[in-house]
Amino acid sequence: MFDNILSGFASILAIGPILGIIAGVIVGIIFGAIPGISAIMAIAIILPMTFYVDPIIGITMLLAVYKAGIYGGSISAILINTPGAAASFLTAQDGNALTKAGKAGKALDMSLFASVSGEMLATLVLILVAAPISLISLQAGPIEKVFLLLFAFTVIGSMAGESIPRGLLSCCLGMLFAMVGMSSITGAARFTFGYTELMGGFTFTPMLIGILVMPEVFNVIRRRKTPHHELAITQSPNPADNRLSFKEFRGVFKTILKSSGIGTFIGALPGLGSSTAAFIAYGEAKRTAKKPEEYGKGSVEGIAAAESANNAVCGSSMIPMLTLSIPGDDVAALLMGAFLIHGLTPGPMIFFEHTETIYAIFAGFLITDLFLLGIARSGFKFFVKMASLRRYYIFPCVTVFAFTGAFTAGQNMDDILVLIAFTIMGYGMRLVGLNPAVFIIGFILTPFLEQNLDQALSIVGTDYYRLFASPFSWVFIILSVFFVFSSMRMRQKTAPAPLQEKTA
Amino acid sequence: MDRRKIDIVLSTVLIIVSVIIFTNDNLVEGGVESDLGSMFLPRIVAGMIMLFAATIAFQSFRKLASGSQPEGPEIILTDGFGGIFIYIGIFITYWLAVPWVGFMVATPFIMIAVALLLGGRNWVPILATSVITPVLIYYGSREFLRVYLPTWTL
Repeated sequence: MFDNILSGFASILAIGPILGIIAGVIVGIIFGAIPGISAIMAIAIILPMTFYVDPIIGITMLLAVYKAGIYGGSISAILINTPGAAASFLTAQDGNALTKAGKAGKALDMSLFASVSGEMLATLVLILVAAPISLISLQAGPIEKVFLLLFAFTVIGSMAGESIPRGLLSCCLGMLFAMVGMSSITGAARFTFGYTELMGGFTFTPMLIGILVMPEVFNVIRRRKTPHHELAITQSPNPADNRLSFKEFRGVFKTILKSSGIGTFIGALPGLGSSTAAFIAYGEAKRTAKKPEEYGKGSVEGIAAAESANNAVCGSSMIPMLTLSIPGDDVAALLMGAFLIHGLTPGPMIFFEHTETIYAIFAGFLITDLFLLGIARSGFKFFVKMASLRRYYIFPCVTVFAFTGAFTAGQNMDDILVLIAFTIMGYGMRLVGLNPAVFIIGFILTPFLEQNLDQALSIVGTDYYRLFASPFSWVFIILSVFFVFSSMRMRQKTAPAPLQEKTA
Repeated sequence: MDRRKIDIVLSTVLIIVSVIIFTNDNLVEGGVESDLGSMFLPRIVAGMIMLFAATIAFQSFRKLASGSQPEGPEIILTDGFGGIFIYIGIFITYWLAVPWVGFMVATPFIMIAVALLLGGRNWVPILATSVITPVLIYYGSREFLRVYLPTWTL
């Protein structure tokens, strides 16, 4: 493994990948810092630009956008109390309180150092854990894979949706849309209704941009009459308030380590995501803090806990994707799509079929952290200025990028129609409480399920009981039931006041 | 807008579609024989859709029947929807116009229209952005990505 890591560094330390990482970090921070644009939107817009470059450059660039985008979200959260994602909500609480006290520089520094520390730790865990897990998962045959995929559908659908039926319905809809076109097993045309354009199924990139990105543009258009908030770094006359001292960093280092560990663990579990990690780590840090009353009112330690956990999810969410082909959240689903477009099929075989590429990507992941630290630290003012651009400059460009991105996928105007149709569908799904990210995960994983199910049935013939002969099958069935049950319990606990309470 | 009513309508539509998938053999054409069959998985998924859609519809119907007021995500706020319809109109116009007038000609007008929709009135920077961006994208796509965006065909 050590040799592979060294060869990965050798591949990544070239002009192309380094320029890709730098561009990815800059784009990611700017997009992440603009209120209304999330990391996922940045990745989806950049994705078509990576089609024609080497996978090492393309994937590392996308990962750089991802990492920097997650960090960038904390800039607007700290400066104008506008968290770009739910995961930055806690950062906004403490960070904005510090900004109001004239300590924006300290809050931004803390957020950056905690983000980079969390990401690095999670990346190291990813590098050390992914290959051994892939060795275990290689033992799984088609039958085990069928149950693993069913487990993934159940967990993601039940954990990520607004309610369990809505989450699972989103997943089923994604599965149904994935079956449009020519069946990879029988060669039959399904749900094409005589249109030859549908034989290849729905083009992934326009669908992805439509479902995940464009509804965000709709949201901005709906809120177009709300006043524009300009980002600005508040300065204190006391220089110590404008930066983070080494002593302060050392004081919260234990919290960063603990929160990064929590973030890494939660990120590795499919369906939970960065918000859960940030909330659990923040709660744990507050529980063990010397001054818990400061949390929520401008605590540097609070920012450290939330940001390190939130960013640790970036690295560890790759673990289930790369080892088991299960994307844990929406960004992982998008990145899985990017891997597939670049000819890399995430799963245990990736470590044997594309050893050099995958370790180069890992090395790029680590190097991205260093570039993020350097670029963000030296360009706070520039990024703040860029993120302050008014929405009528940004969103016309986003519209054109979405159009170009959809066209680039197949150089076909029909893909623009796919983009428009899925944009409307993606927004409609949000309105009725269906989860677009779960839809995408269902869409991506269905071909794998169908292929493995076909192979599994070929193996067992008419002795269907043999599907349940493997202990792995039972393990995944029990885990699925457990996750659904625990998700129901969790929702009952967090549900608002029940109906009888109101009528009493 | 009360989302529970939409839930019932949407669930009914999904159940009808699922029943069609379940019962109609003409949704698949050609293909070879396999252990699984081309319609096995679609029918399983259709069955699941029926189950979950029925659950959602039942939950919403029960709440509506009890006469409770919608709360939280059950209320769909419709303010600002006019802008969304205009934006969709702009995008459809863009899709229809590009094959005829080309990317470079259509894009500046579309960018200006979206900027206007978002309340932009600083004409000089908006015009400059609307002209420079398509030029950069067109030549960038052509030179670096080998993607040839549509040109004027009239």
